[in-house]
Order: sequence, then C-alpha cells, then structure tokens
Amino acid sequence: MPQKITINPVTRISGFMEINADVDNGAVVNAKTKGLMFRGFEQMLVGRNPFDAVYFTERICGICSTAHSMASTLALESVMGIEVTEQGRYLRDIIHGSEFLQNHLRHFFQMTIPDYVKMPQNFPLLNARHNDYRLPKEINDRIVKNYFDSLELSRSAHQMVAIFGGKAPHNHGIFIGGATMQATSDKVISMLSILDSIQTFIEEKMLPDVYDIAKYYPEYYQIGGGYGNLLSYGIFDHYKELGTLYVDPLVYTNGDITPFNPDRIAEVSDYSWCKNLEPQDLYHQPIEDTKDLKAYTWVKAPRYENKPFEVGPLARQWLSGEYRNGISAMDRTIARVLEAKKICAVLKTLLENLRPGINFQQVYEVSVGGKGSGLIDTTRGALGHWVSVENRQILTYQIITPSAWNFCARDDEHPGVAERALIGTPVQDVKDPVEIGRVIRSFDPCISCATHVYTAGQYVKTLEVNV
Amino acid sequence: MQQNCPGYSDRRKYISELVNAAINQAETTGKKKKLVWLELNGCSGNIISLLDGFEPNLEYMMTAMTDFIYCNSLVAKEGSAAMEQLFSVIGSDFILAVEGAVSKRENGLYNIIGRVNGTAVTGLSAVTRLGEAAEYVIAVGACASHGGVSGAKPNPSECVGVQKVLKRRVINCPGCPCNPDWFLGTLAYILLYGEPPLDSRNRPQMFYSITIHDRCPRRSYFDNNIFAEKLGDQTCMFKLGCRGPITPIDCPVRMWNNHVNWPVKCDTPCIGCAQFGFPDAMEPFITYNTTR
Repeated sequence: MPQKITINPVTRISGFMEINADVDNGAVVNAKTKGLMFRGFEQMLVGRNPFDAVYFTERICGICSTAHSMASTLALESVMGIEVTEQGRYLRDIIHGSEFLQNHLRHFFQMTIPDYVKMPQNFPLLNARHNDYRLPKEINDRIVKNYFDSLELSRSAHQMVAIFGGKAPHNHGIFIGGATMQATSDKVISMLSILDSIQTFIEEKMLPDVYDIAKYYPEYYQIGGGYGNLLSYGIFDHYKELGTLYVDPLVYTNGDITPFNPDRIAEVSDYSWCKNLEPQDLYHQPIEDTKDLKAYTWVKAPRYENKPFEVGPLARQWLSGEYRNGISAMDRTIARVLEAKKICAVLKTLLENLRPGINFQQVYEVSVGGKGSGLIDTTRGALGHWVSVENRQILTYQIITPSAWNFCARDDEHPGVAERALIGTPVQDVKDPVEIGRVIRSFDPCISCATHVYTAGQYVKTLEVNV
Repeated sequence: MQQNCPGYSDRRKYISELVNAAINQAETTGKKKKLVWLELNGCSGNIISLLDGFEPNLEYMMTAMTDFIYCNSLVAKEGSAAMEQLFSVIGSDFILAVEGAVSKRENGLYNIIGRVNGTAVTGLSAVTRLGEAAEYVIAVGACASHGGVSGAKPNPSECVGVQKVLKRRVINCPGCPCNPDWFLGTLAYILLYGEPPLDSRNRPQMFYSITIHDRCPRRSYFDNNIFAEKLGDQTCMFKLGCRGPITPIDCPVRMWNNHVNWPVKCDTPCIGCAQFGFPDAMEPFITYNTTR
C-alpha cells in the first residue's frame, strides 16, 4: 500500500507549489506537481496598448522579469516587422545575460544550498528539519560563508542589469529596437569590472562548492532524470559577426539532436483547468473548465512533437555540447553553475564588441493588426510569447514559460516532466522527504511564471476538492 | 530628526544612520523583533528587490536588526514544518511585511500558500490571521499596497491590497518593486521610534512626499520646452507619457541598485509604479507624444 506524501509549500522557489507523491517500498511511484497561484495575465493584456506589453509582462515574475521583457519585445518586433541592429542586440542581450547571473547565483546559493548544507543555528529562517547533511565541517563552513558572500555578487549582477536597464527587478532598458540607453565607455568598463568579480567568485567558489556537494551526495547523479528529452529556443546565437556564442535552437530526443521547429509546439490541456481548444494554435485565447474532475493544476501541458520536453541550463549545456555527463538532479545543478561561468564569457565578448554612442530608438507606430511571436531561451529555459494585434490593441496574448514546460500537467500517455523525474526517487523518511525537494529544485521552478499566466474563469467549488 | 522637512529626511545617508541606530539599539537591549515576510499573489519581486538592498543589506537586516522568521523564497523548511514556523510568531511581538496582493476570488483559493493538517491555507486567511496579531503591518510593493498589477483589469483573481482586508493600520510602501531602501528605512524607523509619519494614504512621508517631477534632473528641459520625441532621447520624457509629475517618490535622488540608475536616466519615462492606481491608472506606459 503506497503512502501518500504532500509537500505544500515547496519553499525556496518563486511562487507557490504543492507536490503529491505516492511512495511504495521506499521510492516514489507516482507524483503530481501543482501550481497554486493565479493572476490571469493573458486576460489582463487583452485590449491594452501593445507597447505596454514589455513593461507589463515583466511583472509576471520578480526573479526573471528581464526574460519577459525580452520575449515580449521580440514578439512585438515580429508583429511590426522590425529588424534589430547587431549593436542593439548586443546591448539588450547584455542586460538579459546579467539577469542570468543574478538568477543562477541566487538559485544555487539561497535556494539549493540549504538542501545539502547545514546552515547556522542562529538563523531561524535557515534551519531545516531533516538531518541528511553529509559534508565535513570544513567544507560545510566554507559553503555557508559563500552563501552569505554570494549575496553581494547577486546584488552586483542586478546592478549590471540596472546600468543599462534603469533598474532591477522590472527593467526599462529593453525595448523594441534593442535597448533605450546608449553604450558609453564608462558604463562598459563598469560592467566589465563587476563581471570580473562575479566570474572570479563563480570559478573560485561556486564551482568547487557544487562539485563538493556532488561528491558527498553522489546518488543524485542517478535520481531525478526523467524523460531525457531536451529543448532550447536558442540564446546568444546567430550573431552576424560573432556567430553563436552559446546555443542554437535545438532539440534532443532518443539520442538525436535536430533543429528546433516552432510549428511543432502544441498545448494539450486534458489535466489542466485551463483548456486550449485549439492545441496547435498558439494565437488562440484559452478558456477554463474547472468542472473537469481529471484536472489538478493550472499549468497546461506544452508538448513538442506530442512529447514532454525538459528545458533549462542542462538542456542548453547538453545541446551546445558543453556538458554531457548525464541527465539527473545533480547534473542539472552542476549544469546551472557551469552555465553561469559560460554566461560570464559570453557577456565579456558582447561587452568588448559594443560600440559607444549609438541610439537604437525610433518613433514606432503600432501595427493596425497582425500577429507574431517571441521565442527565446532564458534563465530557466525556453520562453515564448505569442501576440496578435487588432485595431492597434492586443487581441490575444499567450505565454508559455520554462516552468510550464518543466512543471506541465500530464497527458493521457505521459506524466509531466518533473512528475516523471520524481518517479523512482528514494524516500528515506516519509515525514521529511528531503529527496523530493532536491529533485524539484534542480529544475529551478518559477510558479509565478508557470501558472498565473492563464486566463482565470468561472471557478467552481470543485477547486476545493481538487487542490 | 527633522520630520517636518521631507527634503532633509530623503537624503540617502539618512537610511544608513537610521539602520545603524536600530542596530545599536538591538545590540544594547539584546532583543530583536521578529520579522515575517509573507508572499501572496504577486511576482515575488519585492523579496528579490530586498536581496538587492545595499547599505543596509539583507545580511545586516537578518543579523543585526531583526529575527527573520519566514519568507517562502528563502526559508529552509518546507511543507507543514514551514507553515508551523510561519504561524509560530502569533503571540509574540512581530512585524509583518506583506508582498503580493490578497486574492479574494473563491474565498481566497486563487492563491494557496501552504497546507496545515491537510487544509489549504489561502493568502487571504494567512494575512488575516497574521495581520491581526502583528505589532506592525507593512505592505511592500504595489500589489500589497493597492492591488497593483495582480489587480489589473479585469482583475481575474479579485486581488486587493492588504489594507482592504484588515481593519487595522497598514503602512503602505508602494512601488513595482518597492526599492529596498524604502522598506528598510521604514523598518528601521519602526524599530527605533515606532510608526513613522505617514501621509493620507499611509505612506511613509520620508520617501513618498515629493514628486519625481519636482526633483527630476531633466526638469530644466521641461521648463525650457525641450521634449524627448522617442525613448533613448536625453531630454524631458513628459510627452512620452512620463508619470513623474504625479508620482511622489524619491527615485531621482536615490536611484536603484546601489544607486546607479533609474528609469528616466535610462532614457525612458517614469511609469508611475510607486503611485496608487498603477498600472491601470498609469497606462499607456509608452506613447509618442501625449499632446498630439
């Protein structure tokens, strides 16, 4: 008889999530991931000024706001047929890359570390309940120090976002045409100088820390793998002069890497309260069916060629050939740290190629009508915005976030990506299932992104039964 | 303390002075107040902004100023143990900081923040219980202050600010997000002297009393009718829809992220994120000549 485990809240993530797991013979045999917050951004966007989508959609997420400013800007440029200059691309990709550093530093130190490292007892905030800590005191103490020291570095990463973006979270600098500010030599050198300290910290502290954790928790190389289907929309790729600095739009399944084709994305929704009645059409506004007793989450189920795909740093490291050790909870965490190092190198190249004194802005005219999409990889993986415009107003807006890929609902054949990854996870103590949290956090969930974006409808009392 | 002169109290240094005084007091008395950071229906961007705080920073806040008990984004415990820790503060002296709006739809079920004995804990029930028990309640950011983006029309989750569901005084620190100094300065004031002087909408006067327009470094362009025609221009953003004239906040002198930049210096208009009514009352954010 399987034992049922509920974890709610899954803390140290952005937003609110519940995990239900059935544990039999000491391992997870079945799991559900549920997103438990709803705001309805897509519905809010209908009728608004298309230009406002850039600053508005950022507010979906406080930890990765820059991601949404990128995707919405790309979507509007696609609607309006605007070609961005290479220098404009460099500058906004620099802002976006700086956001990667803030996210990866904070996710590794503030959100992941307390799963593996015993934190000082004098901070009630940082005391966990489980007792599976294995690091020798010397290493444990060193990583605790780095937990606190990292705060200065993640803060400086957001300072980098602000230098060209105005402020962070919720920058103003990324906009149609590239960026709003011009590069100047004082700003470039300021960025390079901050970048240098972040890069040193990543190489000298963060990398040894993650490999020490991997050494003492080696079974996590065998836990939390999942489907092994990986997808990226590409990031820092196809520059005219610089080529691809990181990863092209690619997918990996059954041992083959093939080019990504956006037409093969569909959204199924058999187990979500939010239904897309035209799964192939991403310009279709979703509706709700909260009476569906099969449904258990607001997160829909994006599929590529009808299969669930994992997105994020491990997918990108794998697809770009930088890291192919394996697909597991530990590999995911290592890939995130390696990616932070890689992003430093990309940012350095972009900053060195930036030319000062170019104004990227024009007086833009809203399209009378049309549709377009903005697909780009961001911190947590592949992010897409699909927008259609009519009478100079937003007619439909659809957002598929990275956490919607990773924490998607199941379909009739497949559990969701994280649900599948949890199957087989050993659980020593059902009262303190620390293993489940470790697997889930390896994906870096952002439920603020994954759930609230769907249109909320008439929500009946079945919610109480299902949630 | 020259409370009656907002210009004086807005100086950047003022925050560090307040915080240092608060730290000294905590050290002398040996007793720190508990702080609970409650995330509700929002983007959790205000805790990220707090992590961006610089002189004072989060490390100082949690070592020297307060006993930091709970925050969903940071707390080590999870599940029911985390919920126990959250509600353990009831009955003691604690300050409640809330970010995100309160979703009222379906009695709060649009935002579930945890589970206690199998029952879902809604944001609405948590803020009501904790808000009634707290010594002070601070609404951090636009959503907690007045609904903000979470409550933007058509407001599908029926989001409102914290004050709408509590019968007691709530100190509002609007902004999207709240600048870490606005929160930490308010917190330091409370620790030292109690409730800070507030305006008619319960915003601390030391931050929210002078409009951006009054202290904008581009004010001379406005006075001389030199207006930006597009984003990226380095003159007055008024005709692009700048909300500086109606937004009382200290961005021009404080700036953001280690005081390096702010939206107007970024060659874009202020979108009034620190004013009540944001975003709906502040849109459109971007227009190319509002006077046309």
